[in-house]
Amino acid sequence: MLRIEHYSKTYPGGRKAVDDLTLHVRPGEIYGFIGHNGAGKTTTLRAAAGVMDFTEGTITIGGHDIRKDPVAARQITAFLPDNPDLYEFMKGIDYLNFIADLYGIPADQRTAGIARYAGAFELTGNLGSPIGSYSHGMRQKLALISAFIRQPRLLILDEPFVGLDPAASHLMKGYLAELCQNGSAVFFSTHVLEVAEKLCSKIAIIKAGRLVKSGPTAELVGDSSLEDVFLELEGEK
Amino acid sequence: MKKFSALLKVSVQSMLLSSTNARGRSRKRAATGLSAVALIAFLGLYLSGFYSYMLMQVLAPVNMEALLFIFMGMAALVGGLLFTTFAVRGVVFGGRDNDLLLSMPVSSTLLMASRVTAIYLENLLFSAFVLLPAGVVCAMMSSAGHSLLFWVRLVIATLFLPLLDTALSVLLGALVAFLSARVSRGALGQNIVMGLFLVAALRFSLRLNEMIAGLASNAAGVKESLGWAAPLLWMGEGVMGDWGLLGAFAVCCAVPFVLVVSGLGRVYRQAVTAFAVRAVRNNYRLSAQSASGQRRALLRKEARRFFGTPMYFWNAGLGLLMLLAAGIASLVMRERLAALAAAAGEALPLLPLAAAATCFCLCTCPIAAPSVSLEGKYLWILREAPVADSTLVWVKVGFQLLLTLPCAVIAGVCLSAALALPVWQSAVLLLTAIAFAVGHAAFGMLMGLCFPKLDAVNETVVIKQSLAVILSMFVPMAALGAAGGLYWLGGKAAPWAAVVLPVLLLILLAAGCIAVLARWGPGMLRSI
Repeated sequence: MLRIEHYSKTYPGGRKAVDDLTLHVRPGEIYGFIGHNGAGKTTTLRAAAGVMDFTEGTITIGGHDIRKDPVAARQITAFLPDNPDLYEFMKGIDYLNFIADLYGIPADQRTAGIARYAGAFELTGNLGSPIGSYSHGMRQKLALISAFIRQPRLLILDEPFVGLDPAASHLMKGYLAELCQNGSAVFFSTHVLEVAEKLCSKIAIIKAGRLVKSGPTAELVGDSSLEDVFLELEGEK
Repeated sequence: MKKFSALLKVSVQSMLLSSTNARGRSRKRAATGLSAVALIAFLGLYLSGFYSYMLMQVLAPVNMEALLFIFMGMAALVGGLLFTTFAVRGVVFGGRDNDLLLSMPVSSTLLMASRVTAIYLENLLFSAFVLLPAGVVCAMMSSAGHSLLFWVRLVIATLFLPLLDTALSVLLGALVAFLSARVSRGALGQNIVMGLFLVAALRFSLRLNEMIAGLASNAAGVKESLGWAAPLLWMGEGVMGDWGLLGAFAVCCAVPFVLVVSGLGRVYRQAVTAFAVRAVRNNYRLSAQSASGQRRALLRKEARRFFGTPMYFWNAGLGLLMLLAAGIASLVMRERLAALAAAAGEALPLLPLAAAATCFCLCTCPIAAPSVSLEGKYLWILREAPVADSTLVWVKVGFQLLLTLPCAVIAGVCLSAALALPVWQSAVLLLTAIAFAVGHAAFGMLMGLCFPKLDAVNETVVIKQSLAVILSMFVPMAALGAAGGLYWLGGKAAPWAAVVLPVLLLILLAAGCIAVLARWGPGMLRSI
């Protein structure tokens, strides 16, 4: 579903944020992406989502090159940044309809989707209020609902658990698993290693812009724990 | 004092950087930004100098120079209020750095004082642009301005007048912020206050014009009738030599400023909290939703932002109201216009005058220019959406045209009817207005893409002071001036050339802007 081949990103001034990264996320996989602050996780996720341009390599989503055919690639993708800023001058329901219109979701399908996900995240009653009045957690939930109603074939999430209450986190994990059962793929970054270990079918560890290890979670962790593996690779143990 | 300086530096920097784009990334851009500020300064100085000269021609012979400074003081006061009242909500009460700064070990009074001082500095700039050229004209046309003490008194007046301006704009701005937080439809409440304020300012300007018109016949009487503006009378007399009245004027300006800063400073934390709170309602019932296309959704988003952000609407949309008002007023006052034209004695060039008025109003509608910067932290939403960059660019241009074209056409039709223009002249007027509207929208979008300001601390600085907005207003005005020059030159060659050449220039400029935007616009958006 997501193929990142020899991807590099160099910022103005010459600093290389990511160096020659190759990574494949297949349909049905929940792929965790872990690393230190500044390791290059967000840069990679933003490039994969088509939000950020990059210097070298290719990224394809469902066979569509994100640079050559960005509209087709984005049509089957949903991306959530670590701190989703949403239009504060819109009401929650207006934002969901705006996103649904951009993705061409039919009226009945979007109504059903909003009813299902907003109901589950207990946000339906607040959808008539301006987003400017929402708390951080409510904005996070609204952004998640806007992603789930698209039924994306690839869902890219940057630190999705930050700001969510435990019930919402649990709910989100369930919906991620459901998406993958339906043939979609999830690629997300996190610092919560316990969640990554339990939730992900595959994990990649990035250090200073270079991929240092990747593979099925069970193989990667072995008899140890993800925390031990991570700290060992980072040279802190 | 060090803390105050640091806080003031932050406030002033955030205002200045939005104008100059001088974030150290590009010296070329910084130089362009400073040139734009210099352009505004030049225009301010020129307009003030021009009006001062006109006034002094009447006032100098009757030794009433004090009236010059009274009128210029009024102009500076009203202009400053218009400039800063609506900036107060963003700069003083609604900064995105509120949480950060209020959590630091500085008193809230100090924080508020630093932000109010930033507003004062902006008003000071405005006062200097208005009062100092008046002083130069006074010195040139009368002996009153030849002493060093005259300049000392004028500088004192220039320094104190903005204190009064700032106190008034902070109070009005606080009212606007309070209404926004309390009225359920915040934008509507703000729009009503802004509308009332602008009507009051317009009424005051008309009254000022009437007084200036009456100067030639009865300057002393006009001065007598200004008792209601006592502080400005004192300022005028003070600049002309009465130190006692100058002192009274200074006290009149300083006391309200100190009262406002100390009074609001004590409740600043509470005020910022109260103005920021907007309760989340929990009574929405989901019903069947309807779907629409991508372009319509994007246009609706632009419309929500434009009409839902009073700062944006009143700064970029005032020209639309002026176009409609001018068109309707010309029809209503058709006979008075005809009488005025007849009184002019010779045949007035009605077509170029109507075209210039329409195009000038269009210049004051920079709707597309700040729209890229206003995306700011929300840009990721459009970047991850399956929408082509070219669509995003043209939707923003299209939204401006959706508003400006109908208003320009209505104004053009009304003016044609009111001035009884022949059919061919009406057609030329409409063609000019449409070409200018299209070119202005495309140029504004280009400026927005060339000078984006995605990290402004509030939307006020983007809408009121960003380089993109400044250039998208003044460069088209310069193009209008060039078209006027062609009209004059063409008229010397042949009557048809006077009409064809300026219209051709505007069409070519519009076509050029569209071509550049189509070729490079999407790429520029992608690279932001």
